[in-house]
Amino acid sequence: MFSAELFTQSLIAGIVIGIIYALMALGITFIYSIVKMINWAMGEFYMLGSFVQYFLVVGLLGPDLWWVAALLSAAAVFLVGWLIEPVLIKPMFTGGIERRDDYATVVTIALLLLMRNLATALNGPYQRSPGTNLGTVMLGPLPESGARLAAALCALAAMVLFWVLLKKTWLGLALRASSQSRVGVQIAGVDILRLDQVAFGIGVGLAGVAGALLAPVFLVFPTNGVVTTTKGFEIIVIGGLGSIPGAVVAGILLGVAESLGAAFISSPYQNAYGFVLLLAVLLIKPSGLFGERMRHA
Amino acid sequence: MSALLEIADAHAGYTSGVDILQGLTLSVAPGSLTLVIGPNGAGKSTLLKTVFGFLRPHRGEIAFKGEPIGRLGPAEIKRRGIAYVPQEINVFPLLTIEENLRMGGWLLRRDPAGLRRQMDKIYASFPALAGRRREAAGNLSGGQGRMLSVAREMMTEPALMLVDEPTAGLAPNLVDQVYAHLQTARRVLDATILLVDQNVDDAIAQADTVYMVNLGRIKAEGPAASFPPERVKALVQECLLG
Repeated sequence: MFSAELFTQSLIAGIVIGIIYALMALGITFIYSIVKMINWAMGEFYMLGSFVQYFLVVGLLGPDLWWVAALLSAAAVFLVGWLIEPVLIKPMFTGGIERRDDYATVVTIALLLLMRNLATALNGPYQRSPGTNLGTVMLGPLPESGARLAAALCALAAMVLFWVLLKKTWLGLALRASSQSRVGVQIAGVDILRLDQVAFGIGVGLAGVAGALLAPVFLVFPTNGVVTTTKGFEIIVIGGLGSIPGAVVAGILLGVAESLGAAFISSPYQNAYGFVLLLAVLLIKPSGLFGERMRHA
Repeated sequence: MSALLEIADAHAGYTSGVDILQGLTLSVAPGSLTLVIGPNGAGKSTLLKTVFGFLRPHRGEIAFKGEPIGRLGPAEIKRRGIAYVPQEINVFPLLTIEENLRMGGWLLRRDPAGLRRQMDKIYASFPALAGRRREAAGNLSGGQGRMLSVAREMMTEPALMLVDEPTAGLAPNLVDQVYAHLQTARRVLDATILLVDQNVDDAIAQADTVYMVNLGRIKAEGPAASFPPERVKALVQECLLG
């Protein structure tokens, strides 16, 4: 049965969760466009972000300072990515490796297994929650979870910050240029290996923020990155690999499709609606909504 | 006068065991336009890539201003005052013309005043770019794209510009323009140019010194005047027929 109120509420809920999904997809697509690789361990950086958030909130800062914790979690995940990149990813370009895609796939899947098992060994299989003091917020007549809304607003802020970085700074200029020509930026005198390192850190940092922000909503456990990563990859196929606007628009579309599907068709199939959307996009525009037919390095 | 760039017995290639440069020796006098010609596959582009540090010579020496640079990477070589205009279209198509020039001025990123000064100088030398500075570089025509890639490398006032086949794939009426851009670069910067070109007759007319490369070595060298068309033709035939 259709009701306008339920529709509006589902729409808003979908947009809210979609914005956070988009953050995840943004990280994946950004690393791809700079370092030319798919990071399959993205969900594990999300998981890392959620654990850091949990320990900071529970052990140090308390639930009221959740936003400080989220900033610190993002910084911590950036740092971990920044430290890992020279060891695992850099040999892709300096080690005389011929099949770079295969190398990146194997290495990041190994990293995924390592991080997930390490988390299970240290934490056990338990689900934890940092808790939240954010109550339900009324958007007009419609209730929305305060933690979700706060997460979406922070995700939006993170995206704006990311956009400003790309558009207004020298680093951003080099990153945009690098996504168009790796040779070109080297000719300009950019140290491309250091640029890769920073780009990888920023990309996983975006996943880390998503993990930190969603910690009270989707809880904290060693495999909590799986669902969000799956969504991240769905979004990338829908939006087009390598497209930043594509990631944002497709993220929101996915969130809305799931939310409306759950409300008006059947809620147990919530995760399936995204795939229906994905199939529809693949039928109509196989390169994704904002994708190019072929991307050249 | 001592050479600005000195290459002695350089051996380099893309995969180990397969050398494209096989003991190449060449020197570039300061202020000159030195031209490298030779048949396809002779190693001309490889030579420029090796000087700029994309390839490391595993034997031989490369010296710039008297200092060895053979072990350095592109970023460091650029800092020392060498710029590289590759053969491929090398503008960033989705960046604006101004952003392309800013990328060219990457080394000046902590010197906003110097960057502004350089950019104004470039716009004065290439007024066609000034009027379109907010446009995406991908909209430029082939000839204007070459103009931008030359202009971009002028941002850091390099002492030596390596230029690879600047007229390849251009309509004949644009060829003169491209050479005019190179001469502008020379005049404005007082720069030395090491030019690789297939467009031999036109390029020799621009050059001071000519080297002919075959199979990764120098086959002939001398002042441009000593390479009249008949001699070039005879040399090319020798190269091709072995």
